[in-house]
Amino acid sequence: MFELHSTEDVLRLAALVSAVLAIAILVWYLVQRPALNRATKIVLLFGLGVMPMAVALAGNIAGFEYTLKREFCGSCHVMRPYVEDAADPTSTSLASIHSRNSTFGHESCYTCHADYQIFGAVTTKMNGMRHLLMYVTEYANTGPYGEGGPKIHMYKAFKNTMCTRCHSTEAPRWAAVEDHAGMLEDIRKGEAKCLDCHGGDKIHPRALAHGGNGRAPAGATGEPAAPAHGEHHGEKKE
Amino acid sequence: MKLPTITKITIRRLVLISTFTTLASLFLMVASILFPGPFLLVVAMSVGQLFGTMSIVLYLLAIAFDLQGFGEHDDVLPQPED
Repeated sequence: MFELHSTEDVLRLAALVSAVLAIAILVWYLVQRPALNRATKIVLLFGLGVMPMAVALAGNIAGFEYTLKREFCGSCHVMRPYVEDAADPTSTSLASIHSRNSTFGHESCYTCHADYQIFGAVTTKMNGMRHLLMYVTEYANTGPYGEGGPKIHMYKAFKNTMCTRCHSTEAPRWAAVEDHAGMLEDIRKGEAKCLDCHGGDKIHPRALAHGGNGRAPAGATGEPAAPAHGEHHGEKKE
Repeated sequence: MKLPTITKITIRRLVLISTFTTLASLFLMVASILFPGPFLLVVAMSVGQLFGTMSIVLYLLAIAFDLQGFGEHDDVLPQPED
């Protein structure tokens, strides 16, 4: 269950070891009920304070690390069309190509969608809480792909900085593309959007295959595609 | 307003409550580590840590009462009136 491949695994193990030690101390106290002398107080301080704090600290960091993973994003069923495409080795979508990157592919959702500023991680996590609320209030029991729920859309427009933090616009190979060279300044200023050319079904084709999100992949149900519930209300900003 | 009398039993009860809240907190945090998912993570990082903070505060309170000598004479029987 626990193979130590990353810092996150080490933290999880540290948290579990601390938890076991704390539980052992607390159970000992509950069973033995020793007098509250100095030694007992010190032992209890470890069981009630030091060890649980270690669990909280290591557990929090490991938890936050886990929330960066594509696996975590896919734990809500409405994200299935997105993560299935991203994980498909034969897919040529941008999401899938980025997900095959050995450096960040396992965190591809977060890498491309997290806010890019000093408090970017915080605002991204706050949006994550909003996702959770929306999931509970609007998408629970909406079918295996969330097809019965309202159309999914981004909270705010996808900025070029999400792309240019990696694609710096300086690389010769990138600049050699005629369209890039022709509107370099506009791209850098954000007046021309990367998604104007690379957006829509080029990114998440499986989710957009039927003109809306939260749909089973084509052919999965054998039924013809129908307009998404609430599709006419929502606006796809991607 | 009359303050409640703090006895040895009060102090032991505080420690006992602290112990149970810590166990609850540890249960939530360990569950979120073993079975990470959106709900468990949020519950562990909010309710779990609220319990954890509450338990250490209760324990420190109990220790403070104990160090102040509350309940030291609990086992001294009242003298019969002559």
